[in-house]
Amino acid sequence: MAQLPPQTIQRDPQLFYWILFPITVVMILTGILRHYATVLMASPPKKVEQPALKEQRSLMHGVAVRSNFHVLTAPSFKARREFLTTAFESGAYLKDPERRGQPPANPMTDPGAMDGMMGMMKNNMAMMVPNTLIMSWINTFFSGFVILKLPFPITIKFKSMLQAGVATKEMDPRWMSSISWYFLCYFGLQFVFNFLLGSDNDGAADAGNGPQAPNMFGPGVDADKQFQAEAENLAVIKHYSVLDDVEQRLLEGIKTR
Amino acid sequence: MPTEREFQVAPIVPESVMHNTKALSNLQSLTASIFGVAAGILGLESYSGFLFYFIFTILTTILFYTFRVAPTSLKSGLGAFDTSRYFRTQYEFWAGGVFGGLAGYILTWTLFYGLVRA
Repeated sequence: MAQLPPQTIQRDPQLFYWILFPITVVMILTGILRHYATVLMASPPKKVEQPALKEQRSLMHGVAVRSNFHVLTAPSFKARREFLTTAFESGAYLKDPERRGQPPANPMTDPGAMDGMMGMMKNNMAMMVPNTLIMSWINTFFSGFVILKLPFPITIKFKSMLQAGVATKEMDPRWMSSISWYFLCYFGLQFVFNFLLGSDNDGAADAGNGPQAPNMFGPGVDADKQFQAEAENLAVIKHYSVLDDVEQRLLEGIKTR
Repeated sequence: MPTEREFQVAPIVPESVMHNTKALSNLQSLTASIFGVAAGILGLESYSGFLFYFIFTILTTILFYTFRVAPTSLKSGLGAFDTSRYFRTQYEFWAGGVFGGLAGYILTWTLFYGLVRA
């Protein structure tokens, strides 16, 4: 097979100042804007009514006792277990004790549920709106320019994606148009935001939505059932302490030194 | 493999492990972009460029190990190249950064290759 000579294209150096540079700067600034928009739009934690808060906290108390039983002495763990199990089973901590056993309310009608959805909507909007705007901006002003050459060969299938707006049949798919530079920036600018904004930023578009709060107390979850399950979990724990045999471990540690 | 009991006797603090992992991934993503600049200026193409990236990323990880992990971890009785004192899994330490920094590497590689060579 004959080796084809590499294609060379004479490009205007001004392309750098008028296309490459503006797109990169706009991408970086948009990332910074998105980060600060997310910070500013983050709604403060909503005030929870006292009974609801009591319900949540007592359930967390149960979970904490269950997962840290090994630091308690046997009598004190037994006392805690006794107390929590009776309270959980009798429903003493429930938000509205008279609604026990009824099916949970429809989450769509609960006003508390709407807040969570609004937060998610806001996050998605902060991602969607700038991306759509920049895409259409690039398509309007910069379509049809060949600005860079990729340093590695790719298959012909990428041609329609990388050279959108450049209708030249014979051109090597390594040449990329402005829209593909946009995509490279979209995926690769994470390190710039690490520099500028610290490591846990919202600048990059594909960074996900960050850690989601555990939806333990979300709407539509039957608190009574959770309490019953937690009481059962507490009841089946076989207690031991981390201080069992501690003197032997200490002596072994001393011996090996 | 330590049992649940041993974890309770000597607990692992998730915040500290998170901090270690984050420090490593920050270093990886920043160095990856700098390697991209270097590869672009050198004019590396296709395989040699990716090879450059992998070699230098692994070199960075090894340097990170020798200067930041090894002094205390060897002293505490762990074997050489054992990172379990500071990181959750070996895989996370040795291979996690290779894929985390690749996007940044390709970006700067393309940019500087395009500016300098093509």
